[in-house]
Amino acid sequence: MNAVAISSKQRLVEHGIISWLITTNHKRVGILYMVTSLAFFGVAGFLADVIRLQLVQPDASFVSPNVYNEVFTLHGTAMIFLFIAPFSFGLANYLVPLQIGAADMAFPRLNAYSYWIFLIGGVTIFGGLGVEGGAGNAGWTGYAPLSTIQTAAGTGMDLWILGLILVSLSTTLTAINSLVTILVFRAPGMSMWRIPVFCWDVLVTFLLVLMAFPSLFVALFSLLLERHLGAKLFDAPWGGDPVMYQHLFWFFGHPEVYVMILPAFGMITEIVGVFSRKPIFGYSGLVLSAFGIAGLSMSVWAHHMFTTGAVNDPFFSAMSFAIAVPTGIKFFNWIATMWRGEISLDTPMLFAIGFMLNFLLGGVTGVMVASPPIDFNVEDSYFLVSHFHYVLGGGAMFAIFGALYMWWPKIWGVKLNERLGKLHFWSMMIGFNLVFFPMMLLGVAGMPRRVYTYPNLPGWGTLNFVETIGAAIITVSTAVFIWNIVMSHRTAEAQRPLADDPWGGGQALEWATSSPPPEFNFHALPPIRSKRPAFDLHYPEYAKDSPK
Amino acid sequence: MLGDWKVFVFAGIAVYAIVAGLIVWSAVAYRCRDPSIRQSRSTVHENAKLEITWTVIPILIVIGLFIKTYIVEAKVEAVKPHPAQIVDVVGYRWSWRFTYPRNGVVVNGTTASAPTLVLPVNETTRIDLTSSDVIHSFWVPAFLFKRDANPGMINVFDFKPTRIGTYPGSCAEFCGTFHALMDFKVRVVSQADFARWIRSQGGKL
Repeated sequence: MNAVAISSKQRLVEHGIISWLITTNHKRVGILYMVTSLAFFGVAGFLADVIRLQLVQPDASFVSPNVYNEVFTLHGTAMIFLFIAPFSFGLANYLVPLQIGAADMAFPRLNAYSYWIFLIGGVTIFGGLGVEGGAGNAGWTGYAPLSTIQTAAGTGMDLWILGLILVSLSTTLTAINSLVTILVFRAPGMSMWRIPVFCWDVLVTFLLVLMAFPSLFVALFSLLLERHLGAKLFDAPWGGDPVMYQHLFWFFGHPEVYVMILPAFGMITEIVGVFSRKPIFGYSGLVLSAFGIAGLSMSVWAHHMFTTGAVNDPFFSAMSFAIAVPTGIKFFNWIATMWRGEISLDTPMLFAIGFMLNFLLGGVTGVMVASPPIDFNVEDSYFLVSHFHYVLGGGAMFAIFGALYMWWPKIWGVKLNERLGKLHFWSMMIGFNLVFFPMMLLGVAGMPRRVYTYPNLPGWGTLNFVETIGAAIITVSTAVFIWNIVMSHRTAEAQRPLADDPWGGGQALEWATSSPPPEFNFHALPPIRSKRPAFDLHYPEYAKDSPK
Repeated sequence: MLGDWKVFVFAGIAVYAIVAGLIVWSAVAYRCRDPSIRQSRSTVHENAKLEITWTVIPILIVIGLFIKTYIVEAKVEAVKPHPAQIVDVVGYRWSWRFTYPRNGVVVNGTTASAPTLVLPVNETTRIDLTSSDVIHSFWVPAFLFKRDANPGMINVFDFKPTRIGTYPGSCAEFCGTFHALMDFKVRVVSQADFARWIRSQGGKL
């Protein structure tokens, strides 16, 4: 009768909350990463609403200037370091071993360690809200000497620096872990030229991390030395150079843009292939362009510094223009994949198309600001704010939502509701463009960024009001997404058991195992003879068409 | 400069229209009408000629844009050896000081009352720009130009305004609590009015 008696303690360790605290399984660590980053997205989104409430009309006083400065600093820091990048790392954590046919990451304990110091780093940054003088308030870029002078926030600024150091350490360790996994742990038959494009984009992302993040370490440690030991590195009266901080920061900061966007390119490539019911077009072009983007992104950092008067503008301008070419190649390959396909406009595909339309505008405005004479006017204006939100919000965030809908059934064994998903997409698309398109006009009209108030010039109040309406729509749209999760899981039983390939066109290996996959991913690996092994397994009649 | 801006806006709209048009058209024209289809009839997944074409054309476009940029920037950044006027501009938290060294005139702004930079029309005024604390940025949207005010460093550029009038200016580099209030005005006046203004400030010509 009592052949197997499992104590409640043991159940807690194996399935309950404790199992999540001690896990080293790549899928669980990936889920922890994604859930945590989405929580930070919620917080950073709330901060964005505070910004939009403050700016709803000229001379509003919803929050004080100092609080406003903390709010936009935390908003930017959280969106970049605690949401977009770590979400991609989490998804990569979950997907890469599945896609290459491995049982786990190369270093599972290091993987768990990376996650926990990421979480501690994020909490440390926000911990500044609880200390005297408030949180870090020098912008997400933390320019010296603003971030080093005595009047800048005290402990909050230090917590911002320390938190970022932990997050960067976490990122570097994840990079090493993922690179080793992709290079060494591929299943038999899974040659480098067969791994999914998402894995290539992740690989290139983590190579970039290893090249760029040391510079961020140096910048952040220099701030600490400057603040506490009087290093005078950036202090002009003592022979220091304030522009040097910007070199250190942007030598990291521009590659960081591609650390955020390359995994998004990978997600979009996977989505477009599956929902076009076609092999992905231009595999080698997609891979080589990722390397091209990464290489160029290491040599464009000073385009953030055209107005300093201290850099060789034409060189950095030429490099920045050049980066449009490999990015264009990616776009043309996606279009060619869709061309003559059988496109199924499910929610992931809608978000992918939304990504393309938004990111394209980010790219076009990016080419504009790469021209120094134009940048001289729009740098540090709302035009720039619009530009990079089209890249990171309309781009990376849309890709992340697309990825959530695409892989949700794989991760949880539950498909999200399509009707609510479409409502989520359309409201997000409308809300997003209502917020960020008017910003372009405001920037050209002369509104600087990072201001807690603005003069009542003709049209400024109206445009800002429209933006706040857009922010409200985005907020409601996000609530629809949360509602979708709740509702879909409530009715989950009806879907079970979910097919291995719930979208019916899955190409990469993750669609060849159960949804959700077993603890070590595969009970048996299918033969890997092409770039879409799961598709070959499920539809052997079409296997002859698979790119080898 | 406005010419540069117009070229880029035009090129940007053209590129956006073509690429976005292709995306939306593909999504609509090739949408799946039979959900049981598992693979499209076309399974083309490479085409060297096509891929070379869409690499070479963007290269040509960006080369063209770079040449345009290079020519315009050389013009924008050119500094005349013998300017008619010189103004030393110093940014500080949170206002500006405009010093006319040849005339002995100093205009001190405060956060509460924005200072005015007076410039003679159709004459070249050299601006020597620096900061006395953190980094600021001196931005006059009507002149389509800004330059950072870095402590310990002097940035030099020329203004040659051609239209009489008053234009708003502001600090564009975030510099702390009252960054938003670090505004100034630029008043472009006739040469006679400029002389009158210098004298009214107790300066010599």
